[in-house]
Amino acid sequence: MKNIILGFAIATTTLAFCNGNKSAENQNLSNRTQSISQTDNANLTISSVKDAKNTVSVKEIVSAYLQMKNAFTEDNSTGAASAGKKLGTAFKNFDKSALTEALKKTYEDVEADAIEHAEHIGANGGNIEHQREHFELLSKDIYDLVKAFGGGQVLYKDFCPMYNNGKGAFWLSETKEIQNPYFGKEMLNCGTITEELK
Amino acid sequence: MKLIRYILLALGIIFVAIQFIRSERNINEQPSPTDIAKAFTVPDSVKVILKNACYDCHSNNTVYPWYSHVQPIGWFLTKHITQGKDELNFSEFGSYSTRKQLSKLEEIEDVINDDIMPLPSYKLMHKAAQLTNDEKALIINWIQLSKESLTENY
Repeated sequence: MKNIILGFAIATTTLAFCNGNKSAENQNLSNRTQSISQTDNANLTISSVKDAKNTVSVKEIVSAYLQMKNAFTEDNSTGAASAGKKLGTAFKNFDKSALTEALKKTYEDVEADAIEHAEHIGANGGNIEHQREHFELLSKDIYDLVKAFGGGQVLYKDFCPMYNNGKGAFWLSETKEIQNPYFGKEMLNCGTITEELK
Repeated sequence: MKLIRYILLALGIIFVAIQFIRSERNINEQPSPTDIAKAFTVPDSVKVILKNACYDCHSNNTVYPWYSHVQPIGWFLTKHITQGKDELNFSEFGSYSTRKQLSKLEEIEDVINDDIMPLPSYKLMHKAAQLTNDEKALIINWIQLSKESLTENY
């Protein structure tokens, strides 16, 4: 009896310990794969610089962003969270291999920041105010991305002067009609179109 | 009755055993070249607040409380510190891209305004981290200035 309990005790402690190591190992591994694929990308860039802008589409990213925006207009926190997860994946799946050096730099700059916001929104289902704060920062990232790559569709940059204690904030929308993601039902029509992105 | 004694004994053994499994400490003697104080002007009044309320989880130097030597509390703290540094590390702030710096400054402002940070559990154990309104205002004001200095050169 005693032996069994003792054995169990040792087993649990070792298990707990090994688990910790394992995740570190996994991370190492994924870092390695990343660096490998990065070198691959670098080689590819040279060969396909020419038609970069035509072949590259940020469509999936934009559509996940719009899905998130629409969830916010409906005050749907969990909907925004699932769109956040989708957006994070879309950023990671995006194929950078065909980009020119300059575009790649822009992309990576935006990506590093946007992924964090997307993941935060994904992890904070239920806390819509906090999600919206990240959405504001995310919108700036997506705007810069669309400016550099094109959105694959007509987009409108909308501005609501009231959000953030009167500092104001903008977002991107696929419709001409104003649907405010920062206030949702509380003030759905607050805002104006400030720019049309084609 | 016997069984309970065995279980207690086992728990005792586990407790003693895990004391030997210690995680690495987040302490770096060398000053970091990418510290926020090198990238931005940080007045001493702000520096003190950051140090007392943020640095334990958001820098490369943690001031550990005594109970961090007791496991599993120590593990729990290590996990928090790793996550905290991952989100925001003042010791490496200078290495962030301008976009990320702006974004992080904005986030700091939000979490201070909304009382999300410092974490309630942290404030419970650290009196100095319970920010007064004046201290919060100092931080927010400093954030504004830092953001402006960034956008000017952006």
